[in-house]
Amino acid sequence: MSYLQLANVTKKFRSADNLETVALDQISLTVERGEFVAIVGPSGCGKSTLLQIVAGLIPASGGQVRLEGRVVTAPPPEAVYVFQQYNRSLFPWRRVLDNVAFAIEHQPSVSRAIARERARHFLSLVALDAHAEKFPWELSGGMQQRVAIARALTAEPSILLMDEPFSAVDALTRLNLQVLLLSIWERTKVTIVFVTHDVDEAIYLSDRVSVMTSSPATISEVLSVDVARPRRPIETREERRFLELRHYLLDRLLHTNADPA
Amino acid sequence: MLTRLRSRVVDVAPGAAFIAALLLCLEIAANSEWVNRALLPPPSSWALVVWDLIASGQFIAPLTETLLRLAAGFAIGVAAGTGLGLVMGYWRPFHDFMEPLVELMRPIPKAALVPAMVLFLGIGDSMKITSIALVVFFPMLINTVQGVRGTDPVMIDTARTFGYGSAAILWKIVFPAALPFIFAAMRVALGLGMVLAVLSEMVAGSGGMGFLILDMQRSFRVRQMYAWLVILAVVGLALTALLGAVERRVLHWGLTERPTGVKRTRGKD
Repeated sequence: MSYLQLANVTKKFRSADNLETVALDQISLTVERGEFVAIVGPSGCGKSTLLQIVAGLIPASGGQVRLEGRVVTAPPPEAVYVFQQYNRSLFPWRRVLDNVAFAIEHQPSVSRAIARERARHFLSLVALDAHAEKFPWELSGGMQQRVAIARALTAEPSILLMDEPFSAVDALTRLNLQVLLLSIWERTKVTIVFVTHDVDEAIYLSDRVSVMTSSPATISEVLSVDVARPRRPIETREERRFLELRHYLLDRLLHTNADPA
Repeated sequence: MLTRLRSRVVDVAPGAAFIAALLLCLEIAANSEWVNRALLPPPSSWALVVWDLIASGQFIAPLTETLLRLAAGFAIGVAAGTGLGLVMGYWRPFHDFMEPLVELMRPIPKAALVPAMVLFLGIGDSMKITSIALVVFFPMLINTVQGVRGTDPVMIDTARTFGYGSAAILWKIVFPAALPFIFAAMRVALGLGMVLAVLSEMVAGSGGMGFLILDMQRSFRVRQMYAWLVILAVVGLALTALLGAVERRVLHWGLTERPTGVKRTRGKD
């Protein structure tokens, strides 16, 4: 049995004028332990909603999410969700170190000293130990998202659910964060489901890319990314297979996306 | 530090000069009998009384009496209003249950309740402290509810993904997120609390600044009455400044220090 299984996950919203919209339509997907799976799709196709259902943050209207065989009804302890909006998910009243320690300080078995010690370890993993005593808003956007990643890792999850985590930083910072994330993934063997609207990013990072379409809001296909690892930020993007996949995916997304933006 | 002090002095200078000019006008008006000196003696004569009260130490007992009651009533009102506001703001069914009662009680001027409270609590400290607590309670409650409601859902979801339960989220996320609202309410509530502190002493009292102001007026010691008003004004100013200092210390992450460009935007996609 797969590590993460989505079976016919459906989400319906009722708008103010009582019209029902289908935000997610019968989505099925499996993810193996240790796998890096990207979900790529146009803005507003429901990628984030899907990820929040997997994280147990919102309930599905139909279908099931199973993590290690158990049905997800509340946020599972082994999963951590990383938000796109790092500046809203970090707490401005806590210093960087205490923001990271937040991940585990509520656990009864973890003392305050141990929480801070582990937080410091994961801060050094994202090369921010020198900024431990600063407040989040004193750091750049890319650094803030590294703090958020360190915080997620401190909880030592077996699966990271990342919602467009790099879409709010500049292009170069984004490349650096991608390299950092891959090195962490290779070291920790954590499973990652990564939502993005950036086709390059999806191919560069993942083992498989799931393509999501808007109407109907579902996963239309899943591609294996047969591009060799370790991936390198410049050379990988110049490989023939990378370019083929990029061409194919962009072609699919442009043609399934009904309204030309 | 010194430059900060200097810039602060520069900031308040025009306002202070305006007050001085107004007092000077009053002084001239009183001395040239444009106003009845018996009703409005010149400010310099109030100042002499203030000086006397301070030099002799006579101001201490009434001031302490009023301030202690204000402190007790304020503390009770803030604690109760904030506590209930957190629960009401966070837990919808409780909010819907309590809201009609709150909305019914809120518009009543709390001063109008003082006679009723005298019936139940007599004319002693408990009546006065209760009056102050009551008038402090409502702005605290309303603002705290608003602050709780305004908590960024991303912060709450962040706590949920790390396995935090409702009570921990309320204490560790919602409460600090609502603190700017809570402090804004405290500033309003402090002024209202002072009104009720003085008023309750006027209604039923044997001491305190409110009692003295009324007593001086009745015994036609008008200069003394104005002197106590001056002291009351200075005390109010000092308490507001104290609260401001506490607020700046607690809300250290506030917008003042934040570099521009860090926008807290809502929504995505």
